[in-house]
This record gives sequence, C-alpha cells and structure tokens, in this order.
Amino acid sequence: MMQRDVASFAFAPAVKVRLISAGFLTAKDICDLRPTELSKEAGISQQEALEVLQEVRRGPAEQGAAESRLTALELLEREQALGTVITFCSALDQALGGGIPVGKTTEICGAPGVGKTQLCIQLAVDAQIPGCFGGLGGQAVYIDTEGSFLVERVVDVATAAVQHCTLITKDTEQREALQSFTVETVLSQLFLFRCHDYVELLAQTHLLPDFLSQHPKVRLVVIDSIAFPFRHSFEDLSLRTRLLNGLAQQLTQIASQHSVAVVLTNQMTTRIGQNQSMLVPALGESWGHAATQRLILHWEGKHRFASLYKSPSQREATVPYQITPHGFRDVQLPDPSVTPADPSLTPSLNSRKRPRGEEGDPSDA
Amino acid sequence: MDWDQVELNPKVVHAVKRANVKTFREVLSLSGPDLQRLTKLSHADVHHLQKTVAAAVQTDPAVTALQLYRGECPFLEQHQKLSLGCPVLDSLLRGGIPLLGIVEIAGESSAGKTQICMQLCLSVQYPRKYGGLEAGAVYICTEDTFPTKRLQQLSSLQHKLRPEVPADVVKSITFCDNIYIEHAGDVDSLNSCISKRVPILLSRGLVRLVVVDSIAALFRCEFEAKDALLRAKHLLAFGATLHSLSHRFKTPIVCVNQVADAVGDFDLVQSNFGLLDKKVLPTLGITWSNQLLIRLMVSRTRFSLQEWLPGLAAQPWHLGSVVRTMEVVFAPHLPQSFCYYTVSIDGVRGVKEEPAS
Repeated sequence: MMQRDVASFAFAPAVKVRLISAGFLTAKDICDLRPTELSKEAGISQQEALEVLQEVRRGPAEQGAAESRLTALELLEREQALGTVITFCSALDQALGGGIPVGKTTEICGAPGVGKTQLCIQLAVDAQIPGCFGGLGGQAVYIDTEGSFLVERVVDVATAAVQHCTLITKDTEQREALQSFTVETVLSQLFLFRCHDYVELLAQTHLLPDFLSQHPKVRLVVIDSIAFPFRHSFEDLSLRTRLLNGLAQQLTQIASQHSVAVVLTNQMTTRIGQNQSMLVPALGESWGHAATQRLILHWEGKHRFASLYKSPSQREATVPYQITPHGFRDVQLPDPSVTPADPSLTPSLNSRKRPRGEEGDPSDA
Repeated sequence: MDWDQVELNPKVVHAVKRANVKTFREVLSLSGPDLQRLTKLSHADVHHLQKTVAAAVQTDPAVTALQLYRGECPFLEQHQKLSLGCPVLDSLLRGGIPLLGIVEIAGESSAGKTQICMQLCLSVQYPRKYGGLEAGAVYICTEDTFPTKRLQQLSSLQHKLRPEVPADVVKSITFCDNIYIEHAGDVDSLNSCISKRVPILLSRGLVRLVVVDSIAALFRCEFEAKDALLRAKHLLAFGATLHSLSHRFKTPIVCVNQVADAVGDFDLVQSNFGLLDKKVLPTLGITWSNQLLIRLMVSRTRFSLQEWLPGLAAQPWHLGSVVRTMEVVFAPHLPQSFCYYTVSIDGVRGVKEEPAS
C-alpha cells in the first residue's frame, strides 16, 4: 500500500498535479505528514490536504480496492444463493434456469401488445412471493416511462398470485407467511417511479442506489420501457449511444451491488432487408450488448412465444405462453384424461407439482 | 436552469459554470469522469453534484401501488376515466378511457370512428360523477370538414342517449360551445397546432380531451415509401408531443387511424400483432403502434340490424342498418375482447346481445 502511486488515487486533477510537482510520488511520501505541512509543501488548501491524507491513510479494505479473491466455486454458490424471480410460466422459468436472475440485467423485447408490461407486472408481484412458497419475499421497484402501469391490472395479477398460494398452502409455515402476503401488502411493497423523458430517467438512475440502500428488501427493478424516452429527440445518435451505454453500466452495477434483478423492456423496430422487412429490437446494435440476458416476445399467428436469445448460462429456447386475466401463464394443452382444469393456474412453485384435478379457481377465468 | 433550486457548495457551482455546463440535462448526460475532467472537481464532489441535480429533476416522491390504488397520488390519477357515453362500451374498457396516454381508434371508413369521437367530445363535458371531465374538447380535423350538423343533432339528443343524467344537468351544458374545431392540412400545421394552440386551451382548463381525426391522412400522404425513416422520425416526435401534453394536463388523447389491406407476406411483420385473421391492419406501422396505450379497432359486420335485433331496428333512431364491432387489440389492463355496437340518431350504443347465427 505504501508503494501506491499518488496518481492512482481519486483526487481532483489539480490537486494531483500539485502533489506530483511538489515531489510526492507515492503514498509513503505523504502519509506521515500533517495537514498544514502538506498544504504548505504542495501549495494546496488546508481542506484539500486533509482530504488527501484521509484518503491515503485509509486501509485497503476501505479504499474500494478490488474485492478479496474468490474461487469459481464460491462465485457459483453466491450466484445460486441470490435466487431468481419466477415468471409463473413454468416453461419459461425452466428455459431461464429457474426464473429471472437476481444480480443480473435482463432485457425483454417485443412488439406492442405482446405482453412485455404484463410480464413485468407479473414479475413485480412474483418477487414478493414468500420464501416458503419458492419466492424471494422481496419488494419491487417499477420505473414507468410509458404510462402503461395501470394499478387495476396489478390488482388482478396480485389477487391471482395470492389465491394460488392460498390454494397450495400445506403447512403452518406457509399459513403464517400468507398472513403477510395479501393483495394489500403486495401493492404496498411495489414502489412506482414515473419518468417522462430521458433526463428524468437518467436522474432516477442516479437516485436509485440510495433508494435501494434505504430499502434493502427490494429484489427487482423494472424499467418499462427503456426504449421509449430514447427514441425521439436525439439528433445526435452518438450521444444516445453514449447515454445508453452509461445507463447499462450503472444498471449492471446496481444489479450486482444491491442484489436486485434488473429488467428492462425494449421496443421493436423494422429493419428493411433486401427483399423483406424484419422486426428487430430497437435502440441499435450496440445496445444488444447491454443486458446480460435477452428475451424476445413475439407472435406466431395467434399464439405468443418467448425466445431466450442471449444468455451466458442457458441455451437458446423458445416457449409458448399466454396472458390470462390472472397474468402471465403457461399455455396448457387440454388433457382429455383428466377433469378439465383452469388453464390459468399452472405454475409449479418450488417444483411442487400438484395433480391437475386439484387446481380450481373459484373466480371466473 | 435554476442553480438556486439546488443546494450546492458555491465552489462546485462556480466550477460547473466555468466549465460551460449550463443545464441540468448536461450535468446528468455527462459521465462522472467527463464531468471531473471538465470541472476539475474531485470524484466525491461530482458524485454529489449529480445526485443533487438528479433530486432536483425527479421531484415526485416514490409512490407505492397501494397509494395509487387508494387515489392518494394527485400526480398519477388512475381511477377517473372518461366515459364513452354508453355503459356497454364502458364496460368493454373497464370504465372508459384512461386520462393519461394515447388511445387509437382504427377502422375502415363508415365504421363509426368519427361518430365515436364526437360522442366522446360530448361525454367529456359532463360532471365527473357521470364519467365526464367537466371541460370541452379540441377536435383536430385533417381530412374532411367537420360534420357540424351531425354534432348539433347529437347534442340536441343527449338527453335520449344519457337517460341516467338528470335533465337539468344535460340542459345546462352548452355542448357545441365547448368543442373547438381545428383544421390541419399538413404535418407542419398539425405540429404547430398541437404545440401552440392546443396547450393554450388545455392550460386554461377549457378542454380536457384532444381528438386527432385522423393522423393517417397526413403521414401517409406526405411521405413516400422511401422516406420511411423521415416519416418514423416525425411520427416519433409527434407522439412525444402528444404524450407530454397528455401528462402535463392529465388529458386523454384520441387518435383516429385508417386501415389498409393486409397484403400477403409483406405483412408478416404486421402479423406480429396477433391480427392474423384480419383482412385489414392499422396503418403507420410499428413506429406509431409503439406510442399507443390502447388500440381499438372498429369494423362493420355483415349482420344487419333488421335481422338480428328487429325490436331495436324498429325504433326510429337507428341509422345505418349494419351492426359494428369495437375490438380491443391491446391495452395494459384489458384482455383482447370485443363488443357490438350500433350508430343511431342520438349516438353510438353498445349492444350486449349476441347474433343468433
């Protein structure tokens, strides 16, 4: 630590220049001085000298130096301990390796009406499912840039999730957990921020770390959508790319430092090919590298499919899903040998498979 | 930009001004290291600067969904909706049109789009407890001239359409006086209308509904196929202006769109709306679709009123003998669903019964 260069510390450039030209090249040269001596020698103010000495004297652990070394096994265990947010569509959860991963950023792309906001609302509710039901028991942050967060839909999805947990409750631990998992508590633990343009979104991202520190139970941050504020009012596309890259970096950092799953939705745009046009995710090529995982929701005829396109740990896969009054669900093929079940209640939380005949939804689908 | 709004060390403010960084937007758009380089401040100072400016930009506090549900958020009003003037149509939309965002009504000609828009212009003038917003409407015409006679006919028959509203309330509203008609023949005049004249009406509280009938006409004519990028740029800017109006003044925006024939494989792209069984698709592509909160499609069915609901058809006030459908194509809070409606002399009414065939 003593050999560390003065230039490598995070001082203001002017201060650094003065220190170096006064002959202080390593930490060892500085740390034994008193503030008044340092300020006279280097020609900096008392206040600046004090700040410099404080920084230099801090132990390596506080200097934000690289984390202590971890083995790959320890890293894997840490990752798995972070958990996932389920989507309530078991086919998709399986393709994702359990659900949307905490600590990473996931992008959801799709045409209007295909279900991006529906999935986001489902995730915001699912992040709150208590641990004994296979959820994370956390809170959720929803940053809405389009105005598509309508609370009555959240109530639908929350009601269905609570009902589902009520129906599969088996032991006392679950019964107790249900006391604090009601529609009201779900709504009260979903924090909503509204951003009307990209400046507000940038501002909100700067404020997010403090908010997450004050609310350590948050396990999911949704930005719906990140495309909307960035698709107009940019004459200079290189500025847009720079801002988006910066945003992506900040969000990746937030995801891992605060152990939250960050979910971003993106729009689709048309790319004119040689003799056909295709739908591709908006925001340009370089944005494709921003999120750790990319999910594309699309139609094929009248059916909806989710494709996992980019993932460091999972295989590419395409699974069908549907949007029901209860939220985001599997597509259940009718099984003629069993009594007809309500197709909107299919997810298997915690891999506990319930025989289909038992699933019953008292309310109309 | 107001430096008095933010509490910052004067040396920081001075450094920022000297670096020629003038707006909050610039402070937030520059990265930490870039700002450090320009202002010659330390990392901690720049970090604090950005956070303070961010707090000045995002002033609304965090709100929970519960507070929103209970109506405790004045800046995000979600319970009040604008009624369409008919209980059947309102129940298709779970109460009516939300106050924030753009609703599109797309359909072929004579499906009833203009009729629905006129009915909305009347419905917005009722008191809140009858589903209105107690203000008038701006109707921006881009195609034909506005059908003033029909509007007068509709407003004189409001008491028939809205029997649940006391007669004295209906009488007290001078419907036609509160509807401001604007004409826009090209994209430029449309933009100048919504960026200059409409905000004045909105800020004075004279209107709480903006109708654009139709957006397709202008954007399809002025831009040829090869100008797709330019058209997209204009559509995005137009949509952004409408959105900001909607949110500033808590006003619903209704845009009428045309439809075009779905032709073979080129519309594989469009089939990404799950509208594969339709012979027509809304125009203006995915660029415009991305801006919408709700898309409704209206069309004429083959059912004639006489065959289907002879009782209803016999009544004197049913014009045009064909039953129509209004379909929800997408909306964040509604399933894909539809209902039938008719256009009568006093307005548009939803029909609950199903056809026999």
